Amino acid sequence: MRRVLVALAAVVAVLLPSSPAWAHAQLLSSAPAAGAALAASPAVVTLRFSEELNPSFITIVLSDAAQQRVPAGAPVVAAATATVAVDSPVENGAYTVAYRVVSKDGHTVQGSYAFTVGSVSSVAPTPVAVAVRESNGIPTGVLIGLGVVGAALIGLAAYFALTGRRRAPVE
Amino acid sequence: MTTRRHLLAGGAAVAGLGVAAGAAVVATTGRGVAPAPVAEADAVALTTGTATVPFHGPRQAGIAEDPPAHAAFVAFTLPGGTDRRALARMMRLLTDDVARLTRGVPALGDTDATLAVLPARLTVTFGFGPGLYRAAGLKPPIADLPKFRIDRLESRWSGGDLLLQICADDPLTVAHTQRMLIKDTRPFAAVRWVQQGFRRSPGVQAPEHTQRNVLGQMDGTANPRGAEIDPAVWNPDGSTTLVVRRIRAEMETWDILAVADKENAVGRRLESGAPLSGTHERDEPDFAKLDDSGLPAMPDFSHVTRARVTDPKLKILRRPYNYDGAPNAAGHPDSGLIFASYQRSITEQYLPIQQRLAEKDLLNEWITPIGSAVFAVPPGCAEGGWIGEQVLG
Amino acid sequence: MRNTLIAVAALAVLGLTGCAKSDDTTTAAGGTPAPAPSATAAAGTLTIKDPWVKASAAGTMTAAFGTLVNDTGADITITGAESPASPLELHEMAMKDGKMVMQPKEGGFVIKSKGTHELSPGGDHLMLMKPKEAIEPGDEITFTLKLADGSTVPFSAIAKPFAGAEESYAPGEHGASGMPMGSMAP
Repeated sequence: MRRVLVALAAVVAVLLPSSPAWAHAQLLSSAPAAGAALAASPAVVTLRFSEELNPSFITIVLSDAAQQRVPAGAPVVAAATATVAVDSPVENGAYTVAYRVVSKDGHTVQGSYAFTVGSVSSVAPTPVAVAVRESNGIPTGVLIGLGVVGAALIGLAAYFALTGRRRAPVE
Repeated sequence: MTTRRHLLAGGAAVAGLGVAAGAAVVATTGRGVAPAPVAEADAVALTTGTATVPFHGPRQAGIAEDPPAHAAFVAFTLPGGTDRRALARMMRLLTDDVARLTRGVPALGDTDATLAVLPARLTVTFGFGPGLYRAAGLKPPIADLPKFRIDRLESRWSGGDLLLQICADDPLTVAHTQRMLIKDTRPFAAVRWVQQGFRRSPGVQAPEHTQRNVLGQMDGTANPRGAEIDPAVWNPDGSTTLVVRRIRAEMETWDILAVADKENAVGRRLESGAPLSGTHERDEPDFAKLDDSGLPAMPDFSHVTRARVTDPKLKILRRPYNYDGAPNAAGHPDSGLIFASYQRSITEQYLPIQQRLAEKDLLNEWITPIGSAVFAVPPGCAEGGWIGEQVLG
Repeated sequence: MRNTLIAVAALAVLGLTGCAKSDDTTTAAGGTPAPAPSATAAAGTLTIKDPWVKASAAGTMTAAFGTLVNDTGADITITGAESPASPLELHEMAMKDGKMVMQPKEGGFVIKSKGTHELSPGGDHLMLMKPKEAIEPGDEITFTLKLADGSTVPFSAIAKPFAGAEESYAPGEHGASGMPMGSMAP
């Protein structure tokens, strides 16, 4: 357990110095899920984030393969979850969900992912497209990369983590 | 990740150096090609102090001209019992002072006459608050703004019966003018608040460059320019209106944002001032433009998106000044913007914009209105006349 | 450019002559605004430039100032002055027994041909001995200068609040003449 904590501290440590805004919201899960192949049109799109969202500042766009916006309702926010209702069932095809949200500390997070409805021959086994702007949270690659970081670096990073954290402005 | 980010930061730093080095090269080359004699260079620099802006005319000065580097906004409160006759006396006196000072001539009885000789584009613009009209027995043409959800107004920065907007390219000129005019206003009114602000100094950058505020944002890109100013600002009689808002910048929380966060809040690139839908500062924001994922390139909730006005007649002329007071013991700054906007009509032009911004604007997370005042700006006057003669005469 | 030139001209005037003094009315006209209470007299005789009067309560002494300009070919002597606002005296400041005192000017003010004569706080001035009513800031007060040749020069002056040299102003100490510097307070 202790080792796990040390490793977690190291993760935080490595991220901290370059990411003063370490409290970014991240998309934790969604329905439809990224890359999902649905049999039928979803009635709603639900995005769950790692942090409470500012309900005043949220954009969720559902687009079809032709990049045309699919009519959907205004986002409804409950804490860290945002939901939009799809106005009417969509046809079979590939769709993109794009979001731009602001966490309570004011950071903007945006990204997108794809899913399909029905059997879509034209859509290759789409890799999950995660388009993120600079301010988005921690790219998955970072987490993977961390796995290969040596023990010495971890120790060093942990040190920076603690000092960095103390200095981090939290107001 | 750390490495990548550091590399990115390093790259930016290198790019920055490159720009600086480029500028240095240009400067050096400029000197190398045509080494300006020192005396000539001095002569060029010295025009800043002696430059003047005409005071007399059908419209008051200090509005349509490029704003000088320094400003003092001085608001006064009239005591009870002030009547129209007293107001006329006050305005005759102040008009006489300003007509002289703006030409670099001491005011009558100026005890520091030596400070008057460098006007440095001095302008003094008079605004009448609702209370002045009531004192004169007239119906005010302007009304205090409604309370906005985002307001945290303090009385020490709000209201006012009379406003003097004193602008010059030199802070000592502003200080002396402020002192002289306060002395001559004192028999009629009490000082209510003074807000002192600044912009870039003359010669620091080309005049057509857009001002930056203390948040680092370009400020005024969407202002009407040239021929666009007239229909937005001036009534046929030469009058206009002024809104002054003191807007505190929440620098501590702003500082923790990444550049992209800041750009999303305002809807423009920090460095170039370009809308997030474009590449150059003066590009018209394209609110229909979508990125590859389908998101609007201009965030729905960004300041520019919310503030946007397309009808030229409904634009406002922003003439803001930065302020930067003393930080507190913790080092937290007292910084922000003295927002000043001129428009024909506060209710038709300013109010709809402010209502939209108060309702939704991501930038609100880092700015707080702490002062608010509205003034009618009477027409200018001819030589021998006085400001306010159409209202109080 | 023109503005700059005007400013430079204004500067030159000030630079040559100090505070508010000018012996070149033509140049001064370019550099000095002509405010509402301007001073005009018969052309080619005597004028007063930048006249003003210190605002004052009713019954309390005060003074009027300005720059007398003689653009004629002969000296001009002002022997007296009148105003509907108050009885007037021509005053000067003079050293008397080691003290600066204010006293009536013997023989009046003499303005040399093509010369100027400054009326200023702490110097020669027109003393309003006892204003009938309060002279409020921004009021316009009319005056008439009486010249030795019997002609007159009317002018009007704007009233200004002025605290210069007023710190020890004590109305009770005022007499017609011989007041100590501290209380002359024009």
